[in-house]
Amino acid sequence: MLMCRDLAEIASDYIDGELNGRQNLSVKMHLMMCKDCRTFIGNLRASSNLLSAHSSGKADEEFLRRIDERVAEALNARKIRGSDSE
Amino acid sequence: MDTAVHPESEASLIEELKRGDSTAYQKAVREYSPGMLAVARFYLDHSSAEEIVQDCWVTVIDAVQKFEGRSGLKTWLHRIVANRCKNRLRTANREVATDFSETLEPELANRFNSTGRWDLPPKLQFHESADTLMENGELSDCLDKHLSALPETQRSALMLYEAHQHKSDDVCNILDVSASNLRVLLHRARQKIFLMVETFQETGEC
Repeated sequence: MLMCRDLAEIASDYIDGELNGRQNLSVKMHLMMCKDCRTFIGNLRASSNLLSAHSSGKADEEFLRRIDERVAEALNARKIRGSDSE
Repeated sequence: MDTAVHPESEASLIEELKRGDSTAYQKAVREYSPGMLAVARFYLDHSSAEEIVQDCWVTVIDAVQKFEGRSGLKTWLHRIVANRCKNRLRTANREVATDFSETLEPELANRFNSTGRWDLPPKLQFHESADTLMENGELSDCLDKHLSALPETQRSALMLYEAHQHKSDDVCNILDVSASNLRVLLHRARQKIFLMVETFQETGEC
């Protein structure tokens, strides 16, 4: 029988729908009987949603400006190469 | 500034990049560099990773001319970064060290008794939705702090999968890990975030 610890080990696979039919069924059976594991799965899922909602678009502005500069230089070099070959 | 690129506008962004439009590059750099950095950090230290991402953007100026859109722009950029990093590691004869042996975080594993039942079950339910939780600035800061403390491999896998919404296959491909090892990386990282939110809800402290 699936114990709470076993469930905790495969909890992310369950959340992401990566378990096979038999494993999925045993997790569902366990969850019907175990309030603590229901809370755990709910909280782990909330943690995962939290990460999706958390801004991923954080990069140091100074770093981005350095990229802008390198790109601008390379674009100019490309234009010069282009006009030379015309 | 809203830099989100929707699928319908991705095609026009690609056209602008092909034309060498500098404003389009600025927009793309802001949209895609965080993810590219997450990929690079899986393989390399911080300053080497930044260097690789800068070099990649310069390469993109020529490479984008041949981009046919078989994958999305984001996946294409992430693969360029991953390949560059792998080459760099190959040259340096180094490999990424990762531990895939344990699926449970020790702090969580200790909460079960010898029969495998909860000894210290989760006390609180995280009631609020993710968006409501994220409006709490202190929690958001705390999350940043914990994310930066994660091992690079876990953080990169987590960011690509959760925040940059890549499919598992893409993450495995980009990071060169097996599907089962990716599952371990994701699960370990999520448990850490779960433990962090739990502590924060119980004590109000990070």
